[in-house]
Amino acid sequence: MSKLQKWFLVIFVLGSSWISPLVNSATLVVSVVDDNDKKVRDAVVYAEAVKSEQVVDAENKKSIIDQRDKEFIEYVTPVRLGTAVYFPNNDNIRHHVYSFSPAKKFEIPLYAGTPADPIVFDKPGVAVLGCNIHDWMSAYVFVSKTPYFLVTDADGRATIKNLPSGDYDVQVWHPKLKGSGKATNQRISVGKDGSISLSFVVKLKRLWSPRRAPAMSVGGY
Amino acid sequence: MQFHSFQTRLLVFVLGLLVLVQSSVFFAVNKANINNARVQIDEALEITAGVFKKSINDRTQRLLEKARLLSGDFAFKQAYATSEHGTILSALENHRIRIGSDWMMLISLTNNVIADTLHPDLHGVTFSLPELIKNVMESEYGETSSIEFVDGIPYQMVVVPLFTPDPSAWIIIGFVIDATFAAELQELTKSHVSIVSGRPGDSLSLVASTLANNLQTTLSNTLSAVSWEINKSIPLRMDSADYVSLVTPLWNDKDNSIIAVLQRSLDEAMQPYMRLQVILIVIFVSGLALSLVGGVLIARTVTRPVQILARHAHKIEEGDYTHYVAIKQKDELGELAESFNYMVKGLAERDRVRNLLGKVVSPAIAEELLSKEIKLGGEEREVTILFSDIRNFTTLSERQSPQRLLTLLNTYLTKIGEVVEANGGVVDKYIGDALMALFGAPLNHDDDATRAVNTAMGMHKTLGGLNVDFEQQGLPKLNIGIGINTSVVVVGNMGSNTRLNYTVIGDGVNLASRLEGLTKKYGVGVIVSESTKADTAGFLFRELDRVYVKGKTEAHTIFEPVAKEGELGHADLEALDRYHEALKQYREQNWDLARKHFLALQAKSPGDKIYQIYLGRIEKFIKAPPGSEWDGTFTHNEK
Repeated sequence: MSKLQKWFLVIFVLGSSWISPLVNSATLVVSVVDDNDKKVRDAVVYAEAVKSEQVVDAENKKSIIDQRDKEFIEYVTPVRLGTAVYFPNNDNIRHHVYSFSPAKKFEIPLYAGTPADPIVFDKPGVAVLGCNIHDWMSAYVFVSKTPYFLVTDADGRATIKNLPSGDYDVQVWHPKLKGSGKATNQRISVGKDGSISLSFVVKLKRLWSPRRAPAMSVGGY
Repeated sequence: MQFHSFQTRLLVFVLGLLVLVQSSVFFAVNKANINNARVQIDEALEITAGVFKKSINDRTQRLLEKARLLSGDFAFKQAYATSEHGTILSALENHRIRIGSDWMMLISLTNNVIADTLHPDLHGVTFSLPELIKNVMESEYGETSSIEFVDGIPYQMVVVPLFTPDPSAWIIIGFVIDATFAAELQELTKSHVSIVSGRPGDSLSLVASTLANNLQTTLSNTLSAVSWEINKSIPLRMDSADYVSLVTPLWNDKDNSIIAVLQRSLDEAMQPYMRLQVILIVIFVSGLALSLVGGVLIARTVTRPVQILARHAHKIEEGDYTHYVAIKQKDELGELAESFNYMVKGLAERDRVRNLLGKVVSPAIAEELLSKEIKLGGEEREVTILFSDIRNFTTLSERQSPQRLLTLLNTYLTKIGEVVEANGGVVDKYIGDALMALFGAPLNHDDDATRAVNTAMGMHKTLGGLNVDFEQQGLPKLNIGIGINTSVVVVGNMGSNTRLNYTVIGDGVNLASRLEGLTKKYGVGVIVSESTKADTAGFLFRELDRVYVKGKTEAHTIFEPVAKEGELGHADLEALDRYHEALKQYREQNWDLARKHFLALQAKSPGDKIYQIYLGRIEKFIKAPPGSEWDGTFTHNEK
């Protein structure tokens, strides 16, 4: 990990822990399974306050989506609206990152290293990222209006801490989610400190993707 | 040529056998060939169907590859991202031209037309082939292929997603199925390829075909008329040519609504066998010709000698022994010809001997001699012996030249010899002017005695005629005497082992000779013995005398045949009766009565010497009576 990457990571960690000292907050523990009772990873779980709450723009929020071994890391990256995302290229070849999604259309033509200017995701929604020269590379940026979101781990779990008291609509999004996230909506009420557990059963669709080219031996003939 | 000739039969057999064998072989080979050709075509068509399927799959794969290129094409993605119909359509058209397809379409994930190169104005409407989208949604990689009709034209089409990078639309690429398509497949499969739409039992319509134009219509009609199954070869007869045909689905869709008919011409497949057939026919015909020629030649080696032999045998039948059969073959027929020649030689020899023998002895004796083994010895048989002799021949011969005499004698002997033979007798020998004839040996008849008497009468009659001739020629008249006796004598070959003579011996022979000698004395032409008279029927006899012949102790009654019964007139019969009455009185020594009768008879026939003889004897016996012991027998002391 380069020095620069470490630096970004620190910023990210600090940013996410900013809201933790708030009083009267609860911890939301969510597990997501599909209709085959299989744990679903890379599902974005987000909680939106029912009362119209002023959207706080995430000034100076930054995030990174790495490119390593011709894959995007992470596959699903939820960010707060207005977050600037850096696309450091850790491969020794160039990549050409693009998105034709209405949430964010952009293109970083063939480049190496880390472009100086990050991409700022200023519209809520999902941006599907691809690489022009590697058809199989794809990643998703979930641009969230609410600051309360997390992505599930391999166990299909996500834990949202320090959720202030109030009513929330908790929803799940996944690249393969069938239908819109609204269908998954569960309303919770956060009163005092404590822990709320939520289970989601989501229906996933088949999502075709271009097949990955076989690995070439570098330095071969 | 007769059917029954050997040559024809041989030819019919050889050629018939050849035709039978050859035609059996021909038909067996022909049948095997046709079957073989069918099996080969069937197998070839099965393989072809496999190749066909594989080539369709390969084609699909190639189409998919082309489609995938497009689905990853960034410029197209960018064009798509503009959401401008015109831009998207022209980018689509650009790609269509790049990959050389006939049709391209972009369909949204919600099954709406985004752009269609065939229908540039069409967009935003529901796609007309929802089944295709349904299929691709269910597929593993988001790809599918199919054959579908668009505006009535079949297209082989592939569907792939447009990745941006998530699937955002369906790219459809179509290749029209036409004659070029069929021709490509024909090149691969070496069979006629026809693309037909319609299900079994439906009326079918031809889409494209490599067949000749006239056959194309025939095919859909023929195929509609027969029942067929997928992947089962059937023979189809189209415009009087046979095609082994195999129907295979062009595309493995559920209802096989579009099929490919793979066909191979049976005639074309039969070409090598046809050449074989021609060779077989040539072999057959030349074999037939060779057999015909060979058969005729072989048959000739048999029939020609046989014909020659038959011709020669016919000549021999006619008594011509002068020809020699010239057959120079070294086989059985050559041997036969050689034997035949020997036989002819032998026959000629025998005939010569027979002729000679017939001249030396009587033909009947010659026959007897030739038919039996000649050996010394004989058998006892009753034979009537006839002796004839010319009276006073010695005197006669003194007056004539020997040459004339011989002519005279030969003429005479020939004539009377003929009389003997005419009566079934046999001239046993000529003794100078005398003739000895046999009746009853070697051939015997029931009436041999009668035949002998008849002969004697005939001889006298013949002589009468001869004498007229002799007189005219200035030759002397002949007078003959004939003696006949019937007796059991020994008949056979007599003489020595090297030289023998067929004749008869015995006392009876001598008696006949003695009787002949007596004719002159009694002045009669013929004298027969009692035994001959007893065996003779139909003649009237005059008893001449009872005599002791010289050298004989036994008395013999001798008779003269007078005439055939019924030939004598009343006066003559009366005279005969009177004579016999006179003879009776003479023997009873009633001399006067006897003399009276004889005188009366003599008065009527003064020339009859017998009356003179008895009148003379009566005169003597009156002077010196013979005594009561006399039995009427007269003893002749001279020969």
